[in-house]
Amino acid sequence: MIRAAGAILICLGAAGLGWEMAFLWRERLNLLVALRQLIYYLKGEILYGHGTLAEALLQSGRKAGGPLGGMFERAAERMELRDGTPFPQIWRSEADKLVSLPLLSGDWERLKALGDSLGYLDLAMQERTLLLYLEQLDESISYLKEHKREKCRLYVSLGIMGGLFLTITFL
Amino acid sequence: MKKKDEILRMFPAKLREILGQIPGDYEDVQEIRLRAGEPLLVVKDGREYYISPAGQLEKRLCQAAAITPDQIRETVEYMSSYSLYAFEEELRQGFLTLQGGHRVGLAGQAVLEGGRIKTLKYISFLNVRISHQRRGCAEKLLPYLCREGEVLSTLFVSPPRCGKTTILRDLIRLISNGEGIARGMTVGVVDERSELGACYQGVPQNDLGIRTDVLDCCPKASGMMMLIRSMAPEAVAVDEIGSREDLEAIEYARNCGCRLLATVHGNSIEDLKEKPVLRKLVEEKTFDRYVVLSSRIHAGTVEAVYDSRGTPIYESCREKAGLAV
Repeated sequence: MIRAAGAILICLGAAGLGWEMAFLWRERLNLLVALRQLIYYLKGEILYGHGTLAEALLQSGRKAGGPLGGMFERAAERMELRDGTPFPQIWRSEADKLVSLPLLSGDWERLKALGDSLGYLDLAMQERTLLLYLEQLDESISYLKEHKREKCRLYVSLGIMGGLFLTITFL
Repeated sequence: MKKKDEILRMFPAKLREILGQIPGDYEDVQEIRLRAGEPLLVVKDGREYYISPAGQLEKRLCQAAAITPDQIRETVEYMSSYSLYAFEEELRQGFLTLQGGHRVGLAGQAVLEGGRIKTLKYISFLNVRISHQRRGCAEKLLPYLCREGEVLSTLFVSPPRCGKTTILRDLIRLISNGEGIARGMTVGVVDERSELGACYQGVPQNDLGIRTDVLDCCPKASGMMMLIRSMAPEAVAVDEIGSREDLEAIEYARNCGCRLLATVHGNSIEDLKEKPVLRKLVEEKTFDRYVVLSSRIHAGTVEAVYDSRGTPIYESCREKAGLAV
């Protein structure tokens, strides 16, 4: 009886891990899509609204909402405080507050690096910086979308199979 | 917010630390000058001081804190809120206007495109000019510029740094608020170089009165026409007229029945008559009053007030009670 219960728990646990991995894949995809939307808003605010970086971040963050939108808003609010902290530092520290989100270290590094280049030189430079970042985002999103079905299935199947394998091994 | 805090907020952390040690509340600080590789200077109460790394006012160069090119770059980025792209037009003109109406003059290497300044690069020289609005400085002058309680079209004439912009700014405030005249008038201000209103994000940082609309960073000629069409001002104020386009816009404003308040560089009415563009203004009696200013006693000394025919209605040399404003 206890063996059977243990076997069921192992199977469920392993399958759960598989589901979790698939869920994280989808979540990362959703976050990157939301981030792309935010960057489009930001680009619009900078290029067509001609606002300062703080204004552009605040407006785009408010419009988009969500955890990443909140990060944009908080960065803008800290800029407005004018406490002497350089913008790249503000940006990085706000990004660090969101590490619990299911993005990979590469995603975070690219997002933080964006803060180092934003505001540098003229309007054309802002556009190029944002376009470059959008290109990187597009690549990541395309990869995640392209492999979403197979990877999610793989994670779930591997979870279940792994659970069964462990159960058989222990039995 | 105290003046000192307001000014310190313009600077990044390291410079803020040094400047924060300067004694007093910055009420008498006029300029802070930063030059790459040169000492940090402050003009306080008309006198220039070196600033030591500990923020003390020094008269000896050897004790001054030196400014590095990196500090200048960081300061410019910080002052523009990391948004230099949003200040392209101001950069072209060589200044930034910051919250509080303080102006930062910039110099470095000009980048030209088609013979026109596109932007500035290698910015190595900053002149932070602290804004101090002189409320009430035009009060004594106002009776000479009114007829039956209504303000007349007035042109302020003076060489640079004689206070004509400061007096015009206060005159705008007075007539907008209806102080010293029969009623408050709607005033449209075309502030091409942000000197009158010192707008920050569209909001005037200087008090221009309750009935004043400001068109900021807009060329005077097109701005005047735009304001007249859109805001129906009773008086239009502009700083430093002089081009043919300005004259056409002034003509247009006059035909619309607006009172004109303007400033121009010059020493006297005769001086204006020698300039082909401005002569027409005098000959056609576009302005009802001409106010000639100097810095003889101090900036803003009223030397004379003339009517439209050039007849003096006030002359400082004849009056015992000075009109120094």
